[in-house]
Amino acid sequence: MKLLKNCLFAGLTALSLLGAANVTTAQETDQVGRAPYLEALKGKKVIFVPISQGMDLNQSWVVVWQRHAARYGFSLEVRDPNGDTNAGIRAMQGAIAEKPDLIIVQNPDVQTYARLLKQAQAAGIKVLQVNMQSATQTDSYVGNDWIEMGRLEMGELAKHCTGPNAVSHKVVWLAGVQTGAANIYMRTGIDEVLKANPELQLVSDQPADYMSEKARQITETVLQQHPDLCGIMGIWDNAEVGAGAAVAAAGKQDQVTIVTNGAGSATGCESIKNGLLDVIFNFNSPIQAEIAAQQISELLQHPERQAGSEKTIFFGPITRVDKTNAAGRNCWKLDELK
Amino acid sequence: MELAGPGKSDGARMGIKMSQELVVVAISVILFIAFSATLNNFLSQGNIIAILKNVSILGTLAVGMGFIVVGRGIDLTMVAVMVVGVAFSIWISTWGVDFTLAVVCGALLAAAIGLFTGIMVAVAEIPPIFATLAIASSVYGSGRIVFASDVLYAPSNIAWLKFVGSGTVLGIPMVVIIFAAVAALMGFFLKKTRFGRLVYATGDNPNAARTTGLPTRPIIVTQYVISALIAFTAGIIMLGLVTGIDTRLYNSSLIYDVLLVVVLGGIGLSGGQGGVRNVIVGTILVGILTNGMTILNFSYTSQNLIKSVILLGALAIDAIINPRDEQTSQSGDI
Repeated sequence: MKLLKNCLFAGLTALSLLGAANVTTAQETDQVGRAPYLEALKGKKVIFVPISQGMDLNQSWVVVWQRHAARYGFSLEVRDPNGDTNAGIRAMQGAIAEKPDLIIVQNPDVQTYARLLKQAQAAGIKVLQVNMQSATQTDSYVGNDWIEMGRLEMGELAKHCTGPNAVSHKVVWLAGVQTGAANIYMRTGIDEVLKANPELQLVSDQPADYMSEKARQITETVLQQHPDLCGIMGIWDNAEVGAGAAVAAAGKQDQVTIVTNGAGSATGCESIKNGLLDVIFNFNSPIQAEIAAQQISELLQHPERQAGSEKTIFFGPITRVDKTNAAGRNCWKLDELK
Repeated sequence: MELAGPGKSDGARMGIKMSQELVVVAISVILFIAFSATLNNFLSQGNIIAILKNVSILGTLAVGMGFIVVGRGIDLTMVAVMVVGVAFSIWISTWGVDFTLAVVCGALLAAAIGLFTGIMVAVAEIPPIFATLAIASSVYGSGRIVFASDVLYAPSNIAWLKFVGSGTVLGIPMVVIIFAAVAALMGFFLKKTRFGRLVYATGDNPNAARTTGLPTRPIIVTQYVISALIAFTAGIIMLGLVTGIDTRLYNSSLIYDVLLVVVLGGIGLSGGQGGVRNVIVGTILVGILTNGMTILNFSYTSQNLIKSVILLGALAIDAIINPRDEQTSQSGDI
């Protein structure tokens, strides 16, 4: 009986001490500024209008943003037009009508949403553009420095295709969609390198429309015309595997260098290991997403700033990935990001 | 053709009258000579093989589409069935199912979709253009929900798939052989078997065919199952060539290119006429044109413009040479 009493007493004491300790820790160690931060983000509404959620980069962005949204209590809705520009315009109009706190947009080209973005800003909605810019500059852009990307890729080809040991000076630019921001700006970077290396000869400049089979057909035809082709540069690793397949079918893997860029997903690394691609300039989309998430929280924390009053730009990292480093963090899998 | 009375193609065949098929052949020959004379390496063996290889997917799809159009139908589900069928195979192979078995499952799925389409057209009697448009969209949409990514890659160690993509027999790429085999089988089927003749009869005048006692419904259903399987075959060709399948192809203009080849070759949308030869003629014209324009480094937009102007030209020439008479205008287009 005594034992039981003692135990009960000890238990009660322990409980009350624990409770007191809890209260004091909560009071003493509340991280400075955390409460107002949570307050600012809680219940805010963010709408994302992508080009298509079927692409690896988009999936990684949304996984990262959803993690932030769940943790800090804002809502993220994805309105996927699935590559259809008209559906995209409707999605943008719908988003503006709903007056969210923030619209995130990935532009299919520089013109389509240009006026809609102005409308959104005029309606007081902040706009964050990701990776693909519009002609209209808004509160923030997070994504690639596409001019630098063009310079890096053509620069890589210049390394292989100039000088006395080069097979030839012939290079190919497999574009994406000619009106897309990535395409337009990469072309500027490419032209800079071509100007600096006048012996480089651009023998074909055709858009493969981000399709691997189209890239394969163009490459196969060009290889017939220029059997001594030295290099090919493209705009998305998932499309340039087609160019790689055409080069492999011609047995010219050692001769032709294939350079492209990509989000850094494991499929790109597989393509390097299979010998379909030589170099991917990896823009690591999960890191892009973290930078964008930082922008989301900044824009949501300052409702007093007028939409469009500040215009900021953040360029993400670009890593050169080839056979030697196609592993680990350079090759993410979606499940690992969750 | 006895069932349909004196056929219009008979008239064209007898006289010196130039059919649309001949117009297209003439344009192809002119282009071929012009490109050979002006472009280096156009006439090389490698480039001719490249032309054939590059049209193998388009041509295979067009054989299936031509088969449907002969029976006075249209199958807009082909590209959707192609990408979703093959993506489905890859998807189940990621669960550990043997890839070859997975391909068989994909073919079965394609056949099931074709069966459903056929029933919608033949039994529910929904006009094929609307039925297939709606089904294409739902097939692609379902795929889009099930598969996480647009681009799915086949396992890299499948020997037969590698052979399909890069193997050759007597110097001819496997993909060209597959296209030729599909076309030859279809040609034989249409011209030499009783079933093939029934397809012509159904296409020429469905009501007359049914009144005469032909099993028009089973014929139509079978047609759509076969075209779905041909679409799946085209998908396997693509998988062999580029190691992956991009389901976004559904959003591209591929299905219209397929129709272009069929109509360009001279298979009338009113059904009951034309055959595999027309499809091949149309395919080769598009192949020569695309190849030449790629060599000339024309931009994508101008390529599309030139392609459509040539199509329009071929149709216009045909309209002048073969004006519509009372019979043809009564039979109606889709």
